[in-house]
Amino acid sequence: MIAQRPSLSLLGTTALLFEAPGEMNLNSQQRIWALAHEAQAWPEIREAVPGMNNLMLTFLRPPRGLGALEALEARLRDAWDAAVALPREGRVVELPVVYGGAGGPHMADVVAHTGLSIEQIVELHSAPLYPVYALGSHPGYCYLGGMDARIATPRRKVPVLSIPGGAVSIGGAQTGVSASAGPSGWNTIGSTSMSFFDPAQNPPAALQPGDMIRFRVEGIVR
Amino acid sequence: MIEVLSSAALATVQDLGRTGSLRWGVGTSGAMDNLALAAGNLLLGNALGAAAIEVPVFPFKVRFGEDCAFALTGADCAARLDDQPLLPWWVHQARAGQVLTLGLPQGGAQRGSRAMLCLAGGVDVPEVLGSRSTQLRGAFGGHEGRALRRGDVLRAAGAGAACKTGFGLVPPALALPLQQGGVPAVRVLPAAEYMGFEPASRAAFWAGEWKITSQSDRYGYRLEGEALRPIAPMELRSHGIVPGVIQVPHSGQPIIQMRDAQPSGGYPKFGTVIEADMWRLGQAPIGSRVRFIETNWEEAVAALDEVRAWLDKVARMVELHRGAPAARR
Amino acid sequence: MQDVALQASQFAAWLADTDIGLFELRTPHGSLRLGRQGDDIVVLPACDAEEAAAVEPAVVRAPSVGVFLHGHPLAGAPLARIGEHVPAGQTVGLLQIGPLFLPVVTAEAGEIAAMCVAHGLPVGYGTPLVELHPL
Repeated sequence: MIAQRPSLSLLGTTALLFEAPGEMNLNSQQRIWALAHEAQAWPEIREAVPGMNNLMLTFLRPPRGLGALEALEARLRDAWDAAVALPREGRVVELPVVYGGAGGPHMADVVAHTGLSIEQIVELHSAPLYPVYALGSHPGYCYLGGMDARIATPRRKVPVLSIPGGAVSIGGAQTGVSASAGPSGWNTIGSTSMSFFDPAQNPPAALQPGDMIRFRVEGIVR
Repeated sequence: MIEVLSSAALATVQDLGRTGSLRWGVGTSGAMDNLALAAGNLLLGNALGAAAIEVPVFPFKVRFGEDCAFALTGADCAARLDDQPLLPWWVHQARAGQVLTLGLPQGGAQRGSRAMLCLAGGVDVPEVLGSRSTQLRGAFGGHEGRALRRGDVLRAAGAGAACKTGFGLVPPALALPLQQGGVPAVRVLPAAEYMGFEPASRAAFWAGEWKITSQSDRYGYRLEGEALRPIAPMELRSHGIVPGVIQVPHSGQPIIQMRDAQPSGGYPKFGTVIEADMWRLGQAPIGSRVRFIETNWEEAVAALDEVRAWLDKVARMVELHRGAPAARR
Repeated sequence: MQDVALQASQFAAWLADTDIGLFELRTPHGSLRLGRQGDDIVVLPACDAEEAAAVEPAVVRAPSVGVFLHGHPLAGAPLARIGEHVPAGQTVGLLQIGPLFLPVVTAEAGEIAAMCVAHGLPVGYGTPLVELHPL
């Protein structure tokens, strides 16, 4: 069921989670960027962290008392209602991907779930220009919007202990590329090579919200 | 400087955590028992958030290359300096050449699981993105972005400086006890998907004892207990999360996100362990049981105040003592 | 000693109504020491120089106001046992002041002769805590 009003919830006393209503799309995400920019300046807020059509606000100081918390929530709803989409013209980055084979161990699961062939999946995955909606999950990792719903595959029942950096994966209706080795509950369909994060740089992440990624088909391994 | 003599220790350099970089996918890391870190630093007269060594696997041995004051807090692990037994939650003076050995955590029901070895001036490693905590995924921060190995040499920023030693603290496990039905407990605020779970599952969560399985570490604690069933399957958009968030994957067995957890996720969230109680979880041993107490916003904020007040009291008493002239016998 | 013993129950009744933790009375006829354990008033062992053996015993005194503990609350075992030979600088007890623990430390080597104050009782600055027979 798609919500009509934003949903606000607590993450303990550490953060507030704001979820935008409606279908997930770029326009909503651009409004989330605008909301993040405004909320980042509020005195209670340590950091405004966009997600996929949602926003987590970590507290510098948790509002004292229920009244203060409710006032903050009201301020956030008002700011959302007033938020104008912040369009960001970023760079286009092209990533060469080898689909399937050892670098895409879960391609068969996506085939099984979608009923499509490997070629169809590769074509649908590599066709769009994917806007970077947000960074999260691990250093430099980009959450991308714009994946074709026909290749959506639910997250795995049992997460994999470790997939390498450069793994191209599908989780639910989203796609993304791992920036470093680590556990994942997504379905890995291919691999690419790119440095997404360097803590010595400023900013340390290679990509930011508003940039775009295109996957170029380097090869398909069956 | 101190030299690590143990192998396969899983010990890491941690401070109070790396904040302000969530927007780049960088989680906070930091000490699993932030109270033990802060208290150890206060005993040494360090800044509250100076970096220390978190020790989760025992025995653990280091050799002091120079005179250095140090504090040992967290789990009481029958520590010895050369062959002298050390009191826990205490600040000591090491001489060059002495070997500090941390043994197995003691104490039966009070047993902790992580020791904090704090050094005079704090562990001297570079700050990365505003913190000295170790970011394991991505390998930066702390000591070379990884766990310590035999042969590693670490510097203490205040080694050799005069420091009042030979006193200690009442451990917070005794000063701030929290139990439910004889089992250590932590307080939880329900999260967004709480009402999406079956009423029987919700009741079972609060009533049950949850075992911390051996698949538990700094990333997350996998719990074993009654499976938590959603009323209908929930597929969520990726969103920011914080340490303490209790996720329920398809298996129904909850996972508490800990300090090295991913800063975002998409599994349904049952609740969040409150920040004021995370140190209790940080000390809960593998195989032990924990219970959850439902709380509300105001109680959770008051709990943070209680922790802060304890730290303030410790800071005041320690400074009084450190500044006091030597007592006559 | 007889007079003082008869008055012990009177003193105990009076003490129970106050919040005094330690009461010590020395007279030419003997001495009486009363302390608190929970809700009860108990008679404490005497630390009386007149009852000492030929050698003058040494006494470790409280370095501050606080609560005297025989052992660390995490450990369970006492830090010193009667009859134990300890060196100078040995921690033979703890003094708790709020959240702080101070060590109670011997100035000289000796044999632990007596714990002058029961575990868990509040004491004043300078209160005799542990009696040692010098070696």
